[in-house]
Amino acid sequence: MGFFQWLENTWWARWADDSVLVATVFEIMHYFSMFLLVGSIVIVDLHLLGLVAKRRTIGEVSSEFFPLMWIGMALNFFSGFVMFAGDATTFAPNWVFHIKVTVIALAVVFGVIVQLQARKWARSESGVVPGWGKALALLSLLLWIGSILSAVEVPSLTNVG
Amino acid sequence: MIVPSQGVVSFCNWLQNTPYALAIAGSTWAYPFVQTTHFTGLSIWLGTSLALDFRLLGWLGRSRKPYELARSLFSWNWIGFVIAVIGGVSLFSTDAVAFSRNPAVQFKLLLFFPLALIAHIVVQQKTLKSWGSSEVVPITARIAGLTEFLLWLSVASAAANIPYFEKFL
Repeated sequence: MGFFQWLENTWWARWADDSVLVATVFEIMHYFSMFLLVGSIVIVDLHLLGLVAKRRTIGEVSSEFFPLMWIGMALNFFSGFVMFAGDATTFAPNWVFHIKVTVIALAVVFGVIVQLQARKWARSESGVVPGWGKALALLSLLLWIGSILSAVEVPSLTNVG
Repeated sequence: MIVPSQGVVSFCNWLQNTPYALAIAGSTWAYPFVQTTHFTGLSIWLGTSLALDFRLLGWLGRSRKPYELARSLFSWNWIGFVIAVIGGVSLFSTDAVAFSRNPAVQFKLLLFFPLALIAHIVVQQKTLKSWGSSEVVPITARIAGLTEFLLWLSVASAAANIPYFEKFL
């Protein structure tokens, strides 16, 4: 716990956690970037499943929404890390928080796989998403919804956060 | 803070005592599932709405006209809205009387949300009908897109302050 105690007592973690105004700004940034991140990956996943923007190609949709996804992810991780640092010793041993981080890590991994595969499908002659590609998109979609669920379970099940 | 009228309090009291609201409030698992529904709906709703705002502002996907983006996202934009509203009403119903007295909820539901929704409908409809048909986005459309973005940020700010005001009620 030595590292988490040090992290929690850094000047910037105390500044972000002790001021109601600053804490609220980071909270707003965290929620808003989550909407941007999940919203954009959901659009791409739903497109791969053949449900959104059917007249557009996978190349067009992914080139529009992946930059938005990465911007959302960067802001979300930054604000999330600052919020975590302010209460690091409370969050670090929390088992629901561990599940949240694991699900998010899996969602990011599958998000990256979807992005890499989308580029390949966009370059292919047919431009058709194979069956396993649709399964991958569905898994990515479920993991992002799961990441929201695990995030809201942290305060709900353990009164932390 | 607006003091809710007796009629509003009676309605909220009835709402939070419906079997549906009691089932959500009384379950360890149902409340987070409803929260997840609300946030998933918001992600789809705001993700698609902000994509259009950012396109009007020239920050996203300049390769296609704003009209095409608005048209391709239209259905899912409103599906997200319906999911978010169902989740939001369900969350509100679990503690409706206290929420109706919370200044952050009042700012969110009576000021910022209606304004943001009106701005969104104007931006979406105008983009579909006139603003979005050319490569060059008119300055009015850019201002409207920025206004909508700032209003959704205000809605999120009010929402983030709801737990803060709960301590004083």
